[in-house]
Amino acid sequence: MNTAAKAEDDLADVEQVLAGDVRAFEGIVRRWQRPLVNMAWRYCRDRGRAEELAQEAFIRAWRGLKSWRRESSFSAWLFALAANVFCSELKRFPAVNVPIGEIDEPSRPAAQHSILAERLSSEMVRRAVLALPVRYREPVVLYYFHEMDVAAAARTMGLPEGTVKARLSRARALLRRRFPGLEAEQTGMEFATHDAGKEA
Amino acid sequence: MDWNKKESDAMELDRIDEILFSEEEILPSSGFLAAVMERVEREASAPPPIPFPWKRALPGFVLTAGVFGWVGVELARLGVPAMKQNAWAMPQLPPGLMITVEEAGWVALSLGLSLASWLLARLLAGRSGLL
Repeated sequence: MNTAAKAEDDLADVEQVLAGDVRAFEGIVRRWQRPLVNMAWRYCRDRGRAEELAQEAFIRAWRGLKSWRRESSFSAWLFALAANVFCSELKRFPAVNVPIGEIDEPSRPAAQHSILAERLSSEMVRRAVLALPVRYREPVVLYYFHEMDVAAAARTMGLPEGTVKARLSRARALLRRRFPGLEAEQTGMEFATHDAGKEA
Repeated sequence: MDWNKKESDAMELDRIDEILFSEEEILPSSGFLAAVMERVEREASAPPPIPFPWKRALPGFVLTAGVFGWVGVELARLGVPAMKQNAWAMPQLPPGLMITVEEAGWVALSLGLSLASWLLARLLAGRSGLL
């Protein structure tokens, strides 16, 4: 379904819900359950918790449907509300308590060739994002959730784009400091590819 | 400028981007939609919240305000002559009354702070569109 059609369906369903038809909310949940669960997953990396958080976000959206001003798209409003819910819920019960400094870097990164080892190191980087301070964690989560769109991430957080860019830059610096081996890994892989090409 | 460093940073950023961007999607469980709708319907069928009984509470508010007003006036009445005499010591009050006045002052302060925080919370909630 394209974005314009989705927006029209959202508007129609919202009008119906506001007119008293509770079942019309099902259309909204059906359309947005996947993005919202995935967004929550990026905040906590726990499947069960992600569904709980997404459910809470839908309930809050249902309660506050009247407050959606038609100036922005329904999805932008829903994502901003969901980000708010996820943040406040995770502040009450944090997803991880491990400081970023205590997350191990994968050993001998340049020597990792198996898919499993690479997946493991990627997962460690993703988990390290959750260990970032909140002000840096949220921009990272939302930037990649919105497919590297700074403007969309800024809209969801209700912050200026410049602030989001600055926080992203700082977050990357923290990740880089935590995982210095990533560069070596990439360089090693590039050399290996280059050598393989020459041999062929 | 250290161009080598800049180049290596860019390369590293790409690797971090690649890892964080290539997140696999998860699918909501089959019962997710039904669970959300069940909660929505339960909330929709619940009776509306009972409004705060402002009319009943108003005499209590007026009485409380009167008591604190009276305490304030008494404190000013007793405190001003003492200040005029350039005496920084507490006004001469019977020991029993002194303790009562001091406690009332603390209660007044805490109530004032509670009122201020409530007003601030309402203001912020109003701005966020929750009220």
